[in-house]
Amino acid sequence: MSEKSSKVANKVFTFAVVGNPNAGKSSVFNQLTGLRQKTGNFPGITVEKKIGKITLSQQHEATLIDFPGTYSFYPTSQDERIVVQTLANPTDTNFPDAVLYIADVSKLEKHLLLLTQVKDLGLPVILALNMSDIAEKEGIYIDTDYLSNQLNVPVIAISGRTGNGIELLKLEMLDLIAATKKTDVSKNNYYPLSVAAIQVANVVKEQLPQIQTDFQAVLIAHHYDWLPFLNPAQRLAIEQSVNDAGFISLRQQVEETMQRFDRFTPIVRQAIRRGTQQPSKITERLDAVLTHSIAGPIIFFAIMFFVFQAIFAWAEYPMTWIETVFTDGGNWLKYILGTGWLSSLLADGILAGLSGVLVFIPQIAILFFLISILEEVGYMARVAFLFDRIMQAFGMNGRSVVALISGHACAIPAIMSTRTISNWKERLITILVTPLTSCSARIPVYTALIGFVVPSTTVAGIFNLQGLAFMGLYLLGILGALIAALIFKWILKSKERSFLLLELPEYRTPVLRNVAYTVWEKVKTFVTEAGKIIIVISIILWALASFGPSGKILQAEKDAITYAEENELDEMQTKDLIAARQIEASYAGILGKTIEPVIRPLGFDWKIGIALITSFAAREVFVGTMATIYSIGSAQDELTLSQRMAQERRPNGEKVYSLATALSLLIFYVFAMQCMSTLAVVKRETNSWKWPAVQFLFMSGMAYLGSLLVYQLLS
Amino acid sequence: MVATLAFGKQLSQMKPGKAGFVAQFTNEQLGCKLLAMGVLPGSRVEIVREGAFGGSLYLKVDGNYLALRRQEAACILLR
Repeated sequence: MSEKSSKVANKVFTFAVVGNPNAGKSSVFNQLTGLRQKTGNFPGITVEKKIGKITLSQQHEATLIDFPGTYSFYPTSQDERIVVQTLANPTDTNFPDAVLYIADVSKLEKHLLLLTQVKDLGLPVILALNMSDIAEKEGIYIDTDYLSNQLNVPVIAISGRTGNGIELLKLEMLDLIAATKKTDVSKNNYYPLSVAAIQVANVVKEQLPQIQTDFQAVLIAHHYDWLPFLNPAQRLAIEQSVNDAGFISLRQQVEETMQRFDRFTPIVRQAIRRGTQQPSKITERLDAVLTHSIAGPIIFFAIMFFVFQAIFAWAEYPMTWIETVFTDGGNWLKYILGTGWLSSLLADGILAGLSGVLVFIPQIAILFFLISILEEVGYMARVAFLFDRIMQAFGMNGRSVVALISGHACAIPAIMSTRTISNWKERLITILVTPLTSCSARIPVYTALIGFVVPSTTVAGIFNLQGLAFMGLYLLGILGALIAALIFKWILKSKERSFLLLELPEYRTPVLRNVAYTVWEKVKTFVTEAGKIIIVISIILWALASFGPSGKILQAEKDAITYAEENELDEMQTKDLIAARQIEASYAGILGKTIEPVIRPLGFDWKIGIALITSFAAREVFVGTMATIYSIGSAQDELTLSQRMAQERRPNGEKVYSLATALSLLIFYVFAMQCMSTLAVVKRETNSWKWPAVQFLFMSGMAYLGSLLVYQLLS
Repeated sequence: MVATLAFGKQLSQMKPGKAGFVAQFTNEQLGCKLLAMGVLPGSRVEIVREGAFGGSLYLKVDGNYLALRRQEAACILLR
């Protein structure tokens, strides 16, 4: 209640941006808000919510909330549900003051269905006809005045692509804010309610005094069994009235939908005139190849291969620059501050850890750049179509492919994207196996380890051997995901009907602004989220590695000096030996040694053990941890981690990172569940601790067994 | 059920390249979803091609493109 009153106190006018999928909502949202946007979640669930600010005049600021695309208020998936859930409940914190409805001009005969529903809710609406630039090219003419008169809403033709009409739209929004108090919200004008609907609507209104319009009430009656804002008593009362009135939800939905189409179809026909120009055949021609049953999958794998080659090839130079900056920065700090615990903490702890994260920005940016281009172009929907049959064999859905691909960037948005899968079993399997695909947090570990095992040579003229090895690891992750999916398909039981209804939007040249926003936002999230964890863990690790049980560290130093004198080591060697003995005696060493017996069969020593422990918070910490562990006390600070690790030797002189150990470690990182954020998201998405627990156990099991097998076979 | 006495042909029985007009849906839940996506009684539906591995169908519905599974196509009766 207090939240509601505070909202009124500093009232900022809120527009909900609503529309069908593929109507170009995000383009318009980006045009209107620019960089003044941030992402959050709708309360209780992880449906992504983008909020933006917009200045309409000197006195008027407005807030825009981007809602997930939906075809109607009769949702089948979770992200569609959020739209009804919010718009049918005036007490919801995200309940808007008005709706900015985005429709694709060339698809008006479909896109106006939801508009009429929004209008019947009683909210003031502005209809923005998007893609007007494309319509113009195709010779489509729209009589916006006629449309506006007939639909009784302001209509503005815009283009989210070129920015045409955006200023007009802002003026219209300003007008709406000024005039909103006069709007009569009680009228239900697109669909005369049936007798049964009126009966249940009255009961709903009795139960929920905040409900303002009949259509809000009817929607609540349709969805009483899942709407979260109803209490058990209200739910029961509504259920009773639905049964008493003979209100059969599905039948009412069909009737309502047909009536709405009957109302607005003649209006659209009258308002739109198509020229003599033939509609573009580009989509049909492209799809003849891209969705071809043989050529399609081949092209898909070629594209994926290009993506991963690009990540390696393009990221190399910027990565070197970032590394150089950090090593130079660290040395400079040490020079300025001299030796001491502060300079050690800053240079060896924080800077070394940070550089371990920041160095992967180029790769992550490239990956998100390419994936969001594929999404923007419209290719991802084709991928879902192409692989639906195969995914069904593994208990998943064509849409799961999108999650499995995005999982290669980050499992968290990937798992969130499964909300579009309406079948629970298919969705659950997708959620469970997606973290097995190699996310960008594994890139650091892969890069560091492939560096030792695979030479950076070119084979067959064009392929980078390290790139090929990378691809192999990614394929291994996919294979692991599919095998796990198959097992879950056999274990999990479901009677729920599964379907794939997928719109294949026309191919469009990507709007680079949208791509840029996506990349910017993802990189920002990676740096802030991962960066926070890395800094904390770097400091903890630095402390663990620098301090030990009282006297133990000093004792280790003395022992090392004695040993060095006996064996006549030079100054440099002595220094290294002291450092090694000290870290061995530290808390970190003790911790690593405690788990060493368990990981010994996998070929890991106690230093890797420390990195494994810290990696359970987040994988990318591995590199930071290794940097911290190795750079402390070492004489060769200027060497990058890769070189440092290559020099690492066991007491008996053999290399720690032998082929067997490096491969075993790689396998471990391919399969292991080492991301607390993912587990938290899985908990939220599945609404139970059971599934994250299952996920953690089966993935850790796969990792341990896989590593064991590889190490024992190779060593 | 809207009608189980099928007088039309199921969309799933059509060959790629052939077109027909939607008469009705035999599954209300699916029918609702299809209506909202603009597949209406009277819409012209053409099967453009079949997906890889004998999978889903690529449809052209009144100038828009849609993918659905064979079992779903079986719920659409043509006249």
